[in-house]
Amino acid sequence: MSKVIVIRTKNIYNSNEEVNSEKINNLYKRGFHLLTGFKDSKNSIKALLTTEKKTGIKINTIGGRSLSTRPKVSLSLADYLIEGGFQEKDILIWDRTNRELRDADYSLNMNLRGIKIFGTDSNTIGYDNSLTVHRSIGSRFSSIQSGIISQSISLAILKDHGLAGITAGMKNYFGSIHNPNKYHDSNCNPFVADLFDTTAIREKHKLTVIDALTVQFHKGPAYHSLWAENYGGLIISTDPVAADYIGWQVIEELRKKHGLPSLKEENREPLYIKTAEELGLGSADPANINIIKEEI
Amino acid sequence: MKRRNFLKFSAAAGLTPKKCLLPFASDLFSFSNESNLSNVEARYYKKLPDREIECHLCPRFCKLGDKERGYCGVRENRGGIYYTLVYGKACAVHVDPIEKKPLFHFLPKTTALSIATAGCNVNCKFCQNWEISQVRPEQITHIDLPPESVVTTAEKNNCPSIAYTYSEPVVFFEYMYDTSLEARRRGIKNVVITGAHVNPEPFKDLLEVVDGVKIDLKAFNQDFYTKYVRGKLQPVLDAIVIASKSHVWLEIVYLVIPTLNDTVSEIHKMCRWIKNEIGPDIPLHFSRFYPYYLMKNLPPTPISTLEKLRNTALEDGLNYVYIGNIPAHEAENTYCPHCGEIIVNRTGYLIGKINIKNGRCVFCGHEIPGFWT
Repeated sequence: MSKVIVIRTKNIYNSNEEVNSEKINNLYKRGFHLLTGFKDSKNSIKALLTTEKKTGIKINTIGGRSLSTRPKVSLSLADYLIEGGFQEKDILIWDRTNRELRDADYSLNMNLRGIKIFGTDSNTIGYDNSLTVHRSIGSRFSSIQSGIISQSISLAILKDHGLAGITAGMKNYFGSIHNPNKYHDSNCNPFVADLFDTTAIREKHKLTVIDALTVQFHKGPAYHSLWAENYGGLIISTDPVAADYIGWQVIEELRKKHGLPSLKEENREPLYIKTAEELGLGSADPANINIIKEEI
Repeated sequence: MKRRNFLKFSAAAGLTPKKCLLPFASDLFSFSNESNLSNVEARYYKKLPDREIECHLCPRFCKLGDKERGYCGVRENRGGIYYTLVYGKACAVHVDPIEKKPLFHFLPKTTALSIATAGCNVNCKFCQNWEISQVRPEQITHIDLPPESVVTTAEKNNCPSIAYTYSEPVVFFEYMYDTSLEARRRGIKNVVITGAHVNPEPFKDLLEVVDGVKIDLKAFNQDFYTKYVRGKLQPVLDAIVIASKSHVWLEIVYLVIPTLNDTVSEIHKMCRWIKNEIGPDIPLHFSRFYPYYLMKNLPPTPISTLEKLRNTALEDGLNYVYIGNIPAHEAENTYCPHCGEIIVNRTGYLIGKINIKNGRCVFCGHEIPGFWT
């Protein structure tokens, strides 16, 4: 049975629309407690990750300042990892390009000390020279994903997606390859699942955290305030498929609430989630998912 | 002959391209500054509500939200305006024999300044230039080479033509079109080397400003296009017909891949279609496949297969059928369909005597279609 935590809070944003630091920290603390059963950070992190390994936090910054993984959300997660036993030098927050990171308000850091923050297009990083060929995928991996890190967290934004249906934890890894534009046919199916099934991701991915503080439930992946809901939540799971399945249900709930047709009715049901289940990557069956919802 | 030996042979015979002005980006895999990409507004797109756009350049009709790129990876929606990121951003610049394109009935024994940008609107599993075609422009090195400079470079290198080639020129349509206009103004011809996965309107516009087109017909069934090209066959066939009815010179290349598109029945079907829709005089090149990119599990095409398919095409009534990627094969030559004499003798990119005068065979006077001077 897969476990998925949906942890929410009210008023996650301050009056200046900044993420409230205390509230996001509390979401992580309570979320990991519910996921692992351990109240303290050391034991809960130990249950999920190996603190000696270089760990990547793959964020999604394609949406600019309005709809990217916010710095406070990723840095708060990094702080929780450090509190749980990680050294800050072993944590890397990353995405495709430094420009996108800067546009989403990140301050880059490639120094040996401190939490590292940089994109694949940084000098000396880049994409692998060789192709990874697996099922429908033929791509060069970011050397961050394939080489630098040993374990990986997908810290994705939850969005409606005009082609994929939704974008969440698994599709976030499209940002780890050089040619994601080639994988948007047929609602990104089976490409999202096939990419996740590559060794570089499947064997390193340990945790999905979906940033659902603001959810773009329609007309995504671009930001449209009219269809963006202040949801104030995080979705956390070690099962990448179950996490995305629950993220999908959140989007459907919001669409229904706002009188919009379902994704299926719009012919863009995210079938890649089912494909991922068929590949044995996790569960997309609600009967096999233990959903724990809590509001703090 | 193995690929390595072929390359050695080519070099020894002086058959390699005359001059490489910018190496292939695969040798230089590095990042370009993203801010150095172009921001010229794209043509052939429709603005939709909510800052979305729909691209009408190719049959994919990519519908994109703000900040998204099309399948080609080189056209981006920024706030509801669609931009080409590769206008004037050449990632490959070479001086090539025109026969390398291959164009065998177009200004033989001349060179073409050959340029490309990053990007492609399909994803052929057997692509020979995937290092530039299947990447985003910021992922490779490019140089600033605006249309005027392309034409000047062609002039300086005594190239009577400019070839838009290597990757897929459809995706750098605006750059190609404007360069072609400038080239035409300055007396230089333009040739397009394309998979022709393009919509009729832009293609017809393009044909107004170019002189020759080589179209890669990758198979004659949709299943192959779905599985191995990730595109559609019918738009390619439509483009072939459109080109054949225009003033431009047209040649077709068919890459023969063992077990995937090499049956006699498929070739029969294709040749009959060509003869009926276009006529018997269009040059058809059967080209040898070499394992590469995502298709390394198949061997190079047996020469006997190529010869068999060529014979099939000749039996079906096509007059000019060639075999490519096998230097010194007798089917590189052009034979007069009337008297059977060799009228253009080729060994790789070495061109011997051309026995064509005023567009006619010097031996029997038969008219030989082409763009000879």
